[in-house]
Amino acid sequence: MDTVLETTRTFVEVAEVWIPEGGRLVLSGGVYGPHSAFADASRQESFAKGEGLPGKAWAEARPVVLKGFDGSYFKRAEAARAVGLTSAVAVPVFAGQSLKAVLVVLCADDAVRTGAIEVWAEADGVLSLDDGYYGAATHFEWVSQHTRFPRGQGLPGGVWAAQTPILMRDLGSGYRFVRAESAGQAGLTTGLGLPVPVPGGQTYVLTLLSARGTPIARRFEIWDARAARTGPRGTARLIDGICEREGPLWDPENAGNERIAHAWEGPVGRVLATGLPVTETGAAAGDYAMMVGLPIHRGGELAHVVAWYC
Amino acid sequence: MERLVVIGAGMASGRLLEHLFEAAPEKFEVTLFNAEPRGNYNRIMLSPVLSGEKSYAEIVTHDDDWYAAHGVTCRFGERIRRIDRDRRVVVGTTGEVPYDRLVIATGSDPFIVPCPGHDLDGVIAYRDLDDTNRMIDQPQGARAVVIGGGLLGLEAAAGLRLRGMEVTVLHLAGHLMERQLDPAAGYLLRADLERRGITVMTQASTKCIRGDGKVETVELEDGTVLPADLVVMAVGIRPAVALARDAGLTVGRAIEVDAQMQTSDPDVFALGECVEFTGQLFGLVAPLYDQAKVLAATLLGQEAAFAPKQLSTKLKVTGCDLFSAGDFAEGPGREDIVFRDPARGIYKRLVVEDDRLVGAVMYGDTADGNWFFGLIKDGTDVSEMRETLIFGPAYQGGAAADPMAAVAALPADAEICGCNGVCKGQIVSAIEGGATDLGAVRAQTKASASCGTCTGLVEQVLAATLGEAFAMPAAQPVCGCTDLSHEDVRRLIKAQELKSQPAVWQELGWRTPNGCHVCRPAVNFYLLADWPLEYLDDPQSRFVNERKHANIQKDGTFSVVPRMWGGITSAAELRAIADAAEKYDVPTVKVTGGQRIDLLGVKGEDLPAMWADLNAAGLVSGHAYSKGLRTVKTCVGTDHCRFGTQDSTGLGIRLERRLWGSWTPHKVKLAVSGCPRNCAEATCKDVGIVCVDSGFEIGVGGAAGMDVKEVERLVKVATEDEAVEWTVAFVQLYREHAKYLDRPYKWLSKVGLDWVKETLSDAATRTALVERFDLSQTIYQTDPWAELAVREKARAFAPIADLTLEAAE
Repeated sequence: MDTVLETTRTFVEVAEVWIPEGGRLVLSGGVYGPHSAFADASRQESFAKGEGLPGKAWAEARPVVLKGFDGSYFKRAEAARAVGLTSAVAVPVFAGQSLKAVLVVLCADDAVRTGAIEVWAEADGVLSLDDGYYGAATHFEWVSQHTRFPRGQGLPGGVWAAQTPILMRDLGSGYRFVRAESAGQAGLTTGLGLPVPVPGGQTYVLTLLSARGTPIARRFEIWDARAARTGPRGTARLIDGICEREGPLWDPENAGNERIAHAWEGPVGRVLATGLPVTETGAAAGDYAMMVGLPIHRGGELAHVVAWYC
Repeated sequence: MERLVVIGAGMASGRLLEHLFEAAPEKFEVTLFNAEPRGNYNRIMLSPVLSGEKSYAEIVTHDDDWYAAHGVTCRFGERIRRIDRDRRVVVGTTGEVPYDRLVIATGSDPFIVPCPGHDLDGVIAYRDLDDTNRMIDQPQGARAVVIGGGLLGLEAAAGLRLRGMEVTVLHLAGHLMERQLDPAAGYLLRADLERRGITVMTQASTKCIRGDGKVETVELEDGTVLPADLVVMAVGIRPAVALARDAGLTVGRAIEVDAQMQTSDPDVFALGECVEFTGQLFGLVAPLYDQAKVLAATLLGQEAAFAPKQLSTKLKVTGCDLFSAGDFAEGPGREDIVFRDPARGIYKRLVVEDDRLVGAVMYGDTADGNWFFGLIKDGTDVSEMRETLIFGPAYQGGAAADPMAAVAALPADAEICGCNGVCKGQIVSAIEGGATDLGAVRAQTKASASCGTCTGLVEQVLAATLGEAFAMPAAQPVCGCTDLSHEDVRRLIKAQELKSQPAVWQELGWRTPNGCHVCRPAVNFYLLADWPLEYLDDPQSRFVNERKHANIQKDGTFSVVPRMWGGITSAAELRAIADAAEKYDVPTVKVTGGQRIDLLGVKGEDLPAMWADLNAAGLVSGHAYSKGLRTVKTCVGTDHCRFGTQDSTGLGIRLERRLWGSWTPHKVKLAVSGCPRNCAEATCKDVGIVCVDSGFEIGVGGAAGMDVKEVERLVKVATEDEAVEWTVAFVQLYREHAKYLDRPYKWLSKVGLDWVKETLSDAATRTALVERFDLSQTIYQTDPWAELAVREKARAFAPIADLTLEAAE
């Protein structure tokens, strides 16, 4: 499977990590691809609580989707416009009450790029779409806006009930995925859903839906880092994953022979050790153009790490 | 090359071929038959395919290229008609294939419950990819009923739910996965599934499936009707042995094989779910792989022998973390080590016998599962590490169970003070706002300011919030199983809506698997008093008198007391009692202080027949043994007495008919006197009513036992209806609030009569209490004699061995 063509453009162009330092969010790392001008603008930036997109995600303690930067609170609008970035999603990473970091991903608009980054929020006992960025998948966006997920149903409802990240395959085929028909039309293939824990207990679920032509990721990984599952802290097990190059990444014998990551070893190990998101590129990202590792804390402790590579 | 024919392309035969091709690629020319129109795939991963978390492509073990590369002739989708052992050929639907060696790996067939309607369209098993695809092809919003709450059924249920269906699981036993889990772990699993929106019904027996050509409803034995578009049967499997039996091979419950996997024919072998080895059948994959290894060696002329091993269980439902291994039934000589963390939903139980770990059940925290499994398999002596065993191999002086874990785990909206409707969150806010002792919390929030039974809980919230800054006064715990007091347990059962014993053990962090003889009767009462409809009374949690429905005497015989409403009887009833006394050789007949007739010295085995005779004369149990309403004693009142002011007998009968059969924290005795001369001795009863010209004086909290106490005035009412209403409301308030084994006077001394008066003086509260009492009576006002006199239950009263016969010889 080494011959997969990876010349297609990816859905996410930029990923960056902002961490609190002295009461402000400062840039701790990011992958900017060809957008070095935007990278320069970002390095000079910092955000107070409530300021700009990362500050808003911090202040409101929820994932925030922003479509269209002009005239918005987005502070780097000019630099973004110059390189063609048009939308962004900010995901706060909380461990209990305290903010560990804010992950921001930025996308560029065009008529062909398909995929979805969605934020689902619980209200009145069901999950409904808080906001989402869909690129050219406008019909799927409409369907999503009109879909509700009770506990246990569909990818968002499943993540909500299981309190773990879930990776779903073949979104467009059959009725495996509640929104299958429209997902199939949009060419969406793989979906990663993950809980976004925030102080106060409000339920948020983030989903990344990938399309074959413009993938959000060519490789997805879910690592279980709970002490109750893996024993001593500092290790994590690869409980699920799928890769265009390597195929399935889980233990087919279901016998506990999953791959194990250790603290500080590799980007996933760094997430384990620090509890902070990482972004990588090149050799450190397994020769992918971009790698994002996102920690999910539960009860104040690191519970899972999800990673995606494209 | 030898000609090897394999019937069945499942996981066991697939592994066999892998071993053979690896060790001797050129030795065999293989023909592989499979009834399914495809090759070997990882069948145990069908559940994630059903849920959408895996794709079929990911679980294919051997694809076309693999079979081609190893020169396997694949005859997929073709059934074998028969095996002709004389001619050494197998006969398929498209022709014969000769063999030198034959391997039967036909696996198993799902067991279909043969209830009416099992053959309707829409009733399916859960066995292969075709079944899985049928489930996947259901239309949006379909309703599924899964019959069977074992591994497979629950995985199907979770998968169907994830795909958007409304799912109900029916399970015959009392808790889910009863072969792998104990009730406590079963409770956590159930809670987990219900959190996913799956409806779980235990003790649910399917009567029939109805529909016009296609499934429409599932009907249960108890009359419940469930609408269904799809019924999934996952109640078990049966080895597929028809082919082997027809070929004349030795077949018991399955195809019998020796330790080399050889059948009764030396050239025919079998492995997988279709074999029986030393009486054992196999359903999990681990022993199948061991068999494949052994059979490969056998076919290659090497020495190998199959030996079954201990197995552990995993449920493949994302987010459900459970582990079970070994044997965890309770038994003499077995000790339990239990760890619970209600906040994190963790339950761990180890069973130790003769210093060896023999069983382990875990929910929520399964990190050490494989380590414990290793100890079980190896029979390791654990006496050295017994104290810290449950904390696992990584134990480094780890913390013992936190006695306040249950309170710390409460959500902010859990009601702590029922009287004033104060939640934990309000108390925590007050503490954080500077209320750092009980008095201050009470003043600011009113929590524990009324009946005071939640005082212990408020103090624990203080301790949990303030840490060491608050010194906890020591409260008397229920027993050694918990640090919580009776009052705490009662309050938490209400606040957390705990409706079963396993729920109490888990959510309140019990240290023992199922409580002990001290806490079980109390918890049983609290549950049945608070949740009369949801909770099922557990006779095993009762004292012997309540189990036998008679008072056991010091010589092992029993006493029988028929109910006499208000102390009134008739010639016919007396005749029936006299007849019973003669018929069953009752040595002593006594009139009791409560105006009843007590037949003393009845043999246990005579009880059911005697009850049946008394029942026939219209007499019911007097409950003279129960923690419940005993008697209502009366005087003759206005009917006969010159001094009588009201119909005291009538009121007594009315009260007794209303209250009988109800369970209470301790026994409850009533009396109604027709005038202040008080011939019925009403002033030393739990509830005593004294009639006066202007109405009824209701006194409560009297006693005439170890303590002697006169009643205190609760209220004076004008009418008989009001007297009944107040009495019922008082009894219900006592049922809902008192500590188990506190008589009303003890309870009143704790909560204060003022609080009871204030509570009952509100008409709406009184009405609600009466309604709750009457609701409970719809379940519990039944005559135990009538139930137990039936033949089957009577057996429980027969002696185990008739020792008199032996003595006679």
